[in-house]
Formats: sequence, structure tokens, C-alpha cells
Amino acid sequence: MESELNRLREEALSALAEITDSTGLEPFRVRYLGRKGGSLTTVMRKLAEVPKEERPRLGALANSVKKEITSLFEKKKQELADARDAGPAVGNLDRSLPGRYLPVGKLHPVTQVMEEICSIFEGLGFAIAEGPDVETDHYNFEALNIPKHHPARDMHDTFYVSDSILLRTHTSPMQARIMENQEPPLRYIAPGKVYRCDSDITHTPMFVQVEGFLVDRQVSFADLKGVLTSFLRRMFSKDLAVRFRPSFFPFTEPSAEVDIGCVICGGKGCRVCKRTGWIEILGSGLIDPEVMKMVGYDPDEYSGFAFGLGVERIAMLKYGIDDIRLYYENDLRFLSQF
Amino acid sequence: MKFTLSWLSTFVSVDNITPEQLADKLTMLGLEVEAVTPLYQGLDQIITAKVLSVAKHPNADRLTLCQVDTGEETVQIVCGAPNVREGLTTALARPGTRLPDGMKIKKAKVRGEQSLGMLCSARELGLSEDHSGIMELDESLAAGIPLTRALELEDTMIEVDLTPNRPDCASVLGIAREVAGFTGRSLRMPVSAAPPLDSAKADFSVTIEEPSLCPRYAARRLTNVTIAPSPWWLQRQLLAVGMRPINNIVDITNFVMLEYGQPLHAFDFTKIREGKIVVRCPKDDETEFETLDGTSRRLQPDMLMICDSRGPVAVAGVMGGLHSEVTDGTTEVLLESACFDPVSIRRTARRLNLPSEASYRFERGVDPEISPVAMERAVQLMIELAGATVCEGGVDEYPGRREQLTLKLRPARVCSLLGMELSPRQIGDYLESIGFTVTDNGKEGLEVVVPSFRPDVEREVDLVEEIARLVGYNDIPTTMPLIRMDYPVRDELRELRKEVCSVCTGQGFYEAINYSFVDERHLDRMGLDRDDYRRRLTRLLNPLTEEQAVMRSMLLPGLLENVCRNINYQQPDLRLFEVGKVFFQHGKDEQPEERYQLCAVCTGARYPGAAPIYFSGQQADFFDIKGLVTALVESLHLTGKEQALEFVVTKQEQPYVAPATGLSLVDGNNEIARIGQVSDEALRGMGIKQPVYFLECDLQDLGELPRLRKQFVPIPKYPMVKRDIALLVPEQVPAGELLRAVKGQRTELVESVDMFDVYSGKPIEPGMKSVALSVTYRSPKKTLDDVTVDKIHEKIVQYLMTEFGGRYREGTE
Repeated sequence: MESELNRLREEALSALAEITDSTGLEPFRVRYLGRKGGSLTTVMRKLAEVPKEERPRLGALANSVKKEITSLFEKKKQELADARDAGPAVGNLDRSLPGRYLPVGKLHPVTQVMEEICSIFEGLGFAIAEGPDVETDHYNFEALNIPKHHPARDMHDTFYVSDSILLRTHTSPMQARIMENQEPPLRYIAPGKVYRCDSDITHTPMFVQVEGFLVDRQVSFADLKGVLTSFLRRMFSKDLAVRFRPSFFPFTEPSAEVDIGCVICGGKGCRVCKRTGWIEILGSGLIDPEVMKMVGYDPDEYSGFAFGLGVERIAMLKYGIDDIRLYYENDLRFLSQF
Repeated sequence: MKFTLSWLSTFVSVDNITPEQLADKLTMLGLEVEAVTPLYQGLDQIITAKVLSVAKHPNADRLTLCQVDTGEETVQIVCGAPNVREGLTTALARPGTRLPDGMKIKKAKVRGEQSLGMLCSARELGLSEDHSGIMELDESLAAGIPLTRALELEDTMIEVDLTPNRPDCASVLGIAREVAGFTGRSLRMPVSAAPPLDSAKADFSVTIEEPSLCPRYAARRLTNVTIAPSPWWLQRQLLAVGMRPINNIVDITNFVMLEYGQPLHAFDFTKIREGKIVVRCPKDDETEFETLDGTSRRLQPDMLMICDSRGPVAVAGVMGGLHSEVTDGTTEVLLESACFDPVSIRRTARRLNLPSEASYRFERGVDPEISPVAMERAVQLMIELAGATVCEGGVDEYPGRREQLTLKLRPARVCSLLGMELSPRQIGDYLESIGFTVTDNGKEGLEVVVPSFRPDVEREVDLVEEIARLVGYNDIPTTMPLIRMDYPVRDELRELRKEVCSVCTGQGFYEAINYSFVDERHLDRMGLDRDDYRRRLTRLLNPLTEEQAVMRSMLLPGLLENVCRNINYQQPDLRLFEVGKVFFQHGKDEQPEERYQLCAVCTGARYPGAAPIYFSGQQADFFDIKGLVTALVESLHLTGKEQALEFVVTKQEQPYVAPATGLSLVDGNNEIARIGQVSDEALRGMGIKQPVYFLECDLQDLGELPRLRKQFVPIPKYPMVKRDIALLVPEQVPAGELLRAVKGQRTELVESVDMFDVYSGKPIEPGMKSVALSVTYRSPKKTLDDVTVDKIHEKIVQYLMTEFGGRYREGTE
């Protein structure tokens, strides 16, 4: 019986080795390990016939053979299962082929970022309004406290259509247009294209800006800081460093430039932040009383803040775009990345 | 505005403040620091050295062999300078040193003789233009000390990007005043007051004919002037801030301008005819004037000029004249320290295209109170550096003298605008730190006297800004506003645009954004007539290029440009769309009509970017763009005002549409959208060689269409029955008409009808085509039996056959 067990072991092991796919597994199991008529079972039944003193030793041997074959069988089964999952080309369905779908297009990255900005402000209760691209000198400059021959006009390289008509240099004219027609409280943002006759590596003659303002009683500089800080942290990250520093805009007083900790280098200093660790991101301030008076608001009764930011710049920082000229070439290799 | 730390420290102590700390503090005060540049950086390796002996070079006539004491050892150096001599203290670059121009000094043999370094000229070290010989340094200097220390060159240049409201800081004095404010240190001025000037004793006169343009004009005469180069300390400061030293007199005027912010001008007094200065506008015959840069300038009648008894000698506040310029031979100088109207100066400088350091300051506003003080500073320097004698008397005409401005400041207002608590005392202390005078009137609030150097501070709110700045914006609290809840109004057109964009991207189109200004020739390429409404263009007066000279009146050319560019970049398979404004000019000097439009194009493979294993070979065609229109109508639930929207063959074919490819979506007589294939001519004009299909649609028109209400209809309870029809009809019958005809039957049992095949060619006889329709029948009330369906179906088939001259292809019933 011992030799029979050994022979059976040899036979089973070589039979197992020859199995190459899962279809061979079941016949093997039935033949060697099956409860009814499996070779091992048959041999083990014979244990009853061997002399009593031999029984423990042969019983142990038979059990170890059965255990060995069973475990090798399970191992083989696992191997074949693994091989099947790993090799998609095996079988009739080549699951490695690409999925079939109709491609969808995408919005321009500038639109995507603009919509994100708008939705953050909409969440804060701001309404959205748009104005004309071709503006009057009055709304673009005069109503914003920038008289003719004011040095601040140097900050705006303006495209003119005639003496009094121009391409808006910012979307701030909407501030005056809305305030003229409505009473506070007001919360608005005005997104849109703006134009400056300046074209080089860092400037395109057209870009997209979002202007926003809030007017009510008792609106303070602290409120301006609160709204803009929470906007920027929504836009970039919750622990973004934000700083405010004095600046000058004719339509706000006090005016503030807002910097964020450089999102490229994390504030350590890099090319993008000119090694300062800070990136200028938006201009803002409390609305100048002159602007309020021009639309008929009493500046002692109402106060408010206004801000403006460039969408391309935010998109550049969010997506790491390093060449502003790519925005308006509409190269599919660019558009399809976002 | 540029200044050096050493210069600043003559006005206020900057001890124990690093340049970086100073820069950060200034930036946070609103004086944004653009650059902090250590000066003479390459020179710390250059040392002083003494020439011990000079001998002729054995192999070269012009060279000498020098034994030089480096402070540590004596080395031999070959030198070619004419001024090298025993005992000279000069500058030595030892082997391994890199000069400012990048040249690296090496141990070398010069004509066979060892040379362990180079004795340098001032130009070689980037210190001045002087290259006549090696530097001649003070003999008392020991050998071996770094040149930067020997010449006291350790310094930093700081550049501030000034906002237009801070003219006071276009001077070292102004910056120093801010530094004194935040450090609490005292401000010291080299000259802080000027003696009164008696015009009766002056031997020249000043007449201001335009007092509104010239609030103050002070002048003094100096004689015995010796024109010479300025001393090194003065040249050094000018060079450090990017100004070229010229001669002692001109350098002093520039130096004092940078110090005090008061532009000065020095005339050669002998060229001022009859010793008369007249401040006036040009006379009719004074149309040309030669400025000191040698350029002839065209004068305008309203430009303010400085004239003598005969004619102009300077463009006031902008640039002096060539004729009265200080030259090497000048011995007498008339020094002008004046104040001019900012708007007038700005206009003149712009029109002459002549921005100068002087006009930069006048445009922003020069403090008239500083004019005599700055002049006194310059006079003293001219006495000291040019050996000048100042003449008794002088002129100080001050027609624009103004009362000092006193403002009321309500501390409560400050607190409410800033959103923080500040006591009147704190507010007063802040303002006084930068030169304001504050009186506390208790309940009446504060009374603040504005110093004359702050013309930008005119109102209470300007003081609020000063306080905010001095508190530090980052120390003002951060809060959220309390505001009444409200429902923000919605811009319908914006919502529509978002919907349209989402349908387009869903259909595989990428959004493009093009410039709003385009090349007018686009319209020629589109073949538009001279009187086409899209030729009512809004033109720019100052375009950057001809390609961006007019506001666009259609979107298609821009997208075709994008198509062309992408094809050139080997991307011929495209679906692009743009939603943007077009502009139509109606009247001169009016804002144009602006309308939002949608334009889409497709070309190349039907599904760009889709796996070619499934979609290869499918090319975009007319029906892809027609499908986009259907998708828009369906997704937006659009309908006509009185009837359903329908497609009709475009009545008035656009010139850029290929023949017999135009189709319009109409609401009655109104065209809502237009599609077609772009004509070959238009494509050729845009440089494209493959078919392109387009959609144009006015979004305002689209937005005016009614939307079908979303109305639930119960899900049918009873099964449907489908019946197919295959008809042979004459080829010229539009297959779509058959669909319309079935739908038009108005049989309530016809639920829907679809076309599933159109075929011509063998075995179908020539002139005919086979159209296969599938009609779905269903009753809301019962299960339809075959007899009922057959009856209606037969009626429909008969109708189609008579209507379109068709007949059965084969019995598919």
C-alpha cells in the first residue's frame, strides 16, 4: 500500500503539472480527490485492511499525500485563475481593446475658471451682470473718478473707437451702470472681456476680467478682507496665505492689492513669484466716495467695496500654464488638456 | 523711483534694518518694492594694491613690469596703462577674479613675462566711463583691502514702483519720511530752509504770464562757475540709480531733484537774453523749438514755455533748450526751481512724446513749498563743487500760494470704514508720524492739517487710507459682511449661453475663444457684398496691427482661422464652437450694437479623438452639424412662437456657403440658425483644403423662442405595433418630406415614424430611390389588433404613393 500511495502521488503530481487551463481542473479533482471513486479515496479505504500496527503510520502517510495533492491542486487552481485575469487576450473577448464612446468636448479653460469664480460668488449671494465691451469714456473712466489727463490713465493702455467711445479696459464700468439704476444693498460681479493695447509675452491685448462689488450700510475694509480671503481660499486651497497691501486705484479709497502665497513654489521663492513667495492676484478697495456721489448715493450712509481680478492669471496658476499667448490660439492640443 | 541705502541714510538712519526688511516694510506701506539690488557685487574680490616699482617690459615697448604690494606679498604684474608709476595706489584683480563684464583673470605670461593679475581702470570695474588709465586711489589707503570697502561701495539699490497718487515719494526725502514714520527715527535734511529772496536785488527778472499753469517760479543766478566732472560720491549715486553723470552743474540739478523731488533746471545765464525770464505759451510764430537732445519739436499754442525776451528757452517742466544749455564753457548759471500745473505738463510731455524725470514728477504734483529749499540745496552744492559764487537776491514768484488744507476727521468714521476700534489718540499718532498736524476737538472730531507734500490727501477718506496703511492692512481684522438675504437676479442670456455650451460640449465640440478684433479682410474672404450688414464695422483708432483693426461682425472667420491653424499642426479632425459677441456699428460716435452669437464648425473625422478601431473612416458631413441643431432644439425644449421650428432650404444663400448646401432653422419667417458647408472660395481664402461644415446662430433670437413646458404624459399601458414601409419614389423627392407627410396625417394612433434607409442604385431603376420608414402605432385605450393597424397603415401608404408618385418596393408588411 505504501508503494501504491507513492505511485499515486507521483502520478497525480505529473498530471497536475500538465494541466494548462481551468477546463482540466475538474476532471483531475474527480479522478484523484473525488469522494466517490477518486483514486486517493479508494486507496485510503484500503487502510482498514492493513495490519493494525501498520495502520497509524500508513494512515499518516495517506493523509500527508492527500494534503499535499489537495494543496497543490488549490495552488494550481489559483494560478490558473490569476493567469486568466491577467491575460485579457485569452478567450473570445479581448478585453484589452479600448472602450467605445463618443468623445465629449470641453469648455475653454478661461471659461471653466470664470464659471468657477462666478459660482463661488453666486454662493455668497452675488448676482452676475454683464455690460458692453465697447464702452463710453464716461463709464470706463469718468464715472470711476478717472478724469482725462489723470496719470492713472497711464495704467490703462486704451483702444479707442472715437474720442468718447473705447474698448473697456476693465469691467468696472458695470459698477457705475448698476449703482445708477439700483439701490443698495447690492452684491454683483461683472465678468467679461476687456482690452488694453499691450501685447507681449505676459500680455494679450484682450483678456477676461471679473469685477465685483458689494454696497450696503456699514460695509468695512475688514469685510472686504473677509470676502476676498474666503473667495481665494475656495479658489485655491483652504490654508492659502493671503496678504493685503496698500495700492492706488482712482475708484477706491483705501485701495488694496491682494497677494497670495505662491502656489507654484509654496512661498519658497521661484520664477513665477519673482522669488518673493507672493503672487499679485487681485486689486480691490473701498468704493471711493466720489464714485458713490456720481451715482447719487450718500457716502456717509452707504459704503462698499469693489475688486477686480484677471481670469487668465488665475487659470495660469491653477493649471500651471506658462505662456499666456496659448489662450487665444485655440490649439486643440491646448484646449483638450483641461 | 530708485534710491540707494547710503543715500537714504543721509536723511534717516537705517541702522539695524536689513535691505530686505526695509523692502518688505515699504511694500506693505504701499510703496511696492520692485527690486533690491546689491551694488558693485562683482567687486568684492578686487583689492587695493600699491605699485612698488615700475620697469620696462623686455619684449614690449608699451608694457611695463610692475612689482605690486597686495598687502600679503609682492607680485609681478604686466601693465599697459600710461599712468602707472611708482607709489600709485590702484585696484588689482588677482587670478581667479571675475570682472563685471564677465572676463576672468588668470595667471598669465605676457610676452614671456609672468603676470599675476591685472591693474584695472574704472571702466573695467564698471565704476565709470573712465578708461584713460588705471584707477588712482587715495594714497592713504592700505594695500589689500577690498575695493568695495576702500571706496565705500557697499550699498544696495532699491527700486519702488510708485503709484500715481504718491508724488512725494518720487524723492529720497519722501521715502525717508515714510521710514522715519514707521521707525520713529528723526528725519534730517541736508538743507531744510531757504533764505528769503529779494527780487529787487536780483539782476534778472521773472514774469509769469500764465499763473494758473505756473504756481511758483524761483530762480537764482550763480557766477564763477567751473564746469568739471562731478566728484565720485555724486557720480556714484547717479550711476547707482541709472542716471548718466554729465558735469557738475547738470549732475547737481539731477541729484537734488532725486533728493527733494523738485526738478531743477540750469540755464547758461549768458544765453538768456536781457536777463528776462517769461513763463508763457508760444506766440503764433513760435512753432518750432530745439530741445537739448538736439531734436526740433513742434509747439502747440497751449504748451507752457520758459522764454527770454525774444523767445522760448525751455519747454516748461519737460526739457530745456539746446541754445541755453549748460556747456563746458559756461561760467554763469541761472538756476530754476519752479512748480507747474500737472495736467498741462502731462499733456505737453505726451504730445511731444517726451517723458522725462522732470515731467514724471510735475505730472504727479510737486510740492510748491519745497521749491526754494531744493534750490538752496543745489546752490550750496554748486558753491562747493563748482566753485560758484551765488549772486545776491533772487526771484521767488508764488502766484499759486494756497492755504494749508485742514480736514475734519471723525474717529467713528475711521473705525466703521476700517472695521476696527481705534482711539482718537491712536489715529492722531499715526498721522503725525508722517508729517500731518492733528488737533483733537473732542466731540467735533479731529482737525488735520495736510502737509503741502501730500496733494493726494484732499478728503476725510484719504486720511482713512493713510491710517489703514499705517495700521498695516494685515493688522485690520478679517470679517464677513452682514447683509440682508436676497435672491440674486439672473441674467437670462448668460443662463442660455451656459445651456448652449453644455449641449455643444456634449456633442463633442471644444470651446474656442478668439479675439474680438479681427482683420477686415476676413469679410472679403467670406465674399460679403459691399453693402452687407456685417460690413457696418466698429473700427479701432489705434489698433496694434491690421489683423486686429475692426470689431468682429461674425464668428465664422475666426473659427476657420482656428481650423487652419490646427490643420497646420497636424490636427485635421475638429469640432469647435465659440459663443461670443459680434458688433454692428449703426451711428458714428455711438456704441455699436452687441449681439451674442453661436458658431460651430466640424471637419475631418466625424468623432475626433474617438478610438479609430471603431470609428475609422467616418468623415464629418452636413448631418453632423444638422444634428447639433437638433440636439440644441431638443435639449433646450425650444419651439416656435406659433408653430414648431422647422428646417427649410435657405432662401437667401450666404456667399460663403457652398451651392445647394444651405439649410435654415426657422420659426415661421424668422431664421433662427443657419447651417451648411463652407464654400470652396471661402475655404481657400482661409487656407483650408478640406470640407468644413458650420452652424451660425444668434443667441438673442434663440433666447426669445418659447420653451416647451415640461409636461408629464402617462406611460402607455398598451403595446405598440410597428409597421415598415419601403417605397420607391422619384429621386428628386426630399426623403424628409415623407416623414413630414406621415407625421402630418394626424392619426392619433401614429405614435412616431422613423426613417431607416434611403437607397438608390442597382437593382433600383435609374431616377428612383428607395425610402424605408418605420411607423409605430399605439392606442392609449386598448391593445391594437392587426386589422385596425393594417387599415390605417394602408391609408398612409396610399397617401404617400399618390402624394409623391411612389410605389411599393417590396412587401415588407
